[in-house]
Amino acid sequence: MIAPLIAFSLLGLIVFYVQNLVFFPYVHLRLLALLVFYVGLRPSLALALALGLVLGCLQDSYATTPFGVHLGASLGLVAMARFFRRGLLLQQLGFQALASLVALVLQEVYLQFATFMLGYQPLFSHDLTTMHAMEILGTAALGPLMHLLVQGVEFSLRRLGWRPRSEPMPYQPFGE
Amino acid sequence: MHPQGRYRTPLLLVLTLLLVFTVLSLSLKRSPALRKVQGLVVAMTAPGLEGLSYVGRSAKQLWLDYFYLIGVRRQNADLQRQLEEYKQREVHFQEAEQALTRLETLLDLKRQVALPVIGARVIAYDPTLWSRSAIINQGKAQGVKEGLPVLAPQGIVGRIVGVYPEYSKVMLIVDRKSSADAMVQRTRIRGMLKGKGGNRCSLEFVPKSADVQVGDLVLASGLAGLYPKGLVFGKVTAANKKNPGVFQEIEVSPNVDLSTLEEVLVVKVATLAFPEP
Repeated sequence: MIAPLIAFSLLGLIVFYVQNLVFFPYVHLRLLALLVFYVGLRPSLALALALGLVLGCLQDSYATTPFGVHLGASLGLVAMARFFRRGLLLQQLGFQALASLVALVLQEVYLQFATFMLGYQPLFSHDLTTMHAMEILGTAALGPLMHLLVQGVEFSLRRLGWRPRSEPMPYQPFGE
Repeated sequence: MHPQGRYRTPLLLVLTLLLVFTVLSLSLKRSPALRKVQGLVVAMTAPGLEGLSYVGRSAKQLWLDYFYLIGVRRQNADLQRQLEEYKQREVHFQEAEQALTRLETLLDLKRQVALPVIGARVIAYDPTLWSRSAIINQGKAQGVKEGLPVLAPQGIVGRIVGVYPEYSKVMLIVDRKSSADAMVQRTRIRGMLKGKGGNRCSLEFVPKSADVQVGDLVLASGLAGLYPKGLVFGKVTAANKKNPGVFQEIEVSPNVDLSTLEEVLVVKVATLAFPEP
């Protein structure tokens, strides 16, 4: 699990750097949340949880909200991804994007509630509602791209010899 | 189902909830351990951002100073000819400009003597919409402490809320957690300047009878010692007296563009006061 965790954490860090240096302050997208969700759809639960922890810590370290708010949101996304993975057959990219939209909306509800409970802002303040909505829709629209990115990382890892524990070893004929 | 698998999901759920609540409660108690974790994460990730930001600036500089100029060589020759014609008329303007530069330098020096400051470069922002903070490349090692105000030439930027060995976290005045005592320059009416997220603040607890108009400058009152008195927060962009309640709704736009900060000053002593403008 270590190799994919390092690879996906590095991918998350690159996404964070791009958001910080290229997108900010003009484009707001929840790309890290999307990454955690799509990794959550992959077979390994431990990897998704560990990645949620790493990226949640990263976001919390740069924010002024209490430490743990983004961490909780990341782990919540993993839980939602597992729920969707088990309950629905998310083979098609469209359904995956729809599921990520639902997950991002639920994450928004959690963040609004958590920040309200911690006295950070009033419940469902209307100041930035449109921006939050645009951010969520834009992020969900990028779902298929994130799916390809996650698949690309997995493919690269396999080429380097990594194989999930649940997966059987490739067939090797006798005498070779 | 395997007995181990049956209990796996509820167990993970309980452990996750336990972890989140523990971290949140430790965070609310301002646990030093969590501060160390935050410091470690920033120390590990900020140098990358700093490096990439430097590379980006250098590439931009290279583009502007070299590649972009190749196509304008001919145009430059024409402009040079025109410049020769205007040179004589320019002489007295140059004199005036030099005098202005000297006066500005003197003013800067005077300010530097009046307030002990540390120069810092902004290397990262919180890219989410949930908080408005920035990371600067000066930390505990350079004498930065929590609570110190951070300024830009145009006005107040925010204050230090987290100090790590080589970096610090600045809470910008538009952050929802930010609040400071402020006053309207023209009428000396006081209120509480609160961050509203995005790029806006609001001046709260100002009675409807008070005279506040669009365009009024909002300054730090110096009370509570958070920000030096007389420094500019921003300008009033909207004042609404038709809302229910006894107070006006006043929207303030920061004087500093808080999304494109590059260099800032950390004031070492928060309670020193500027002379009122």
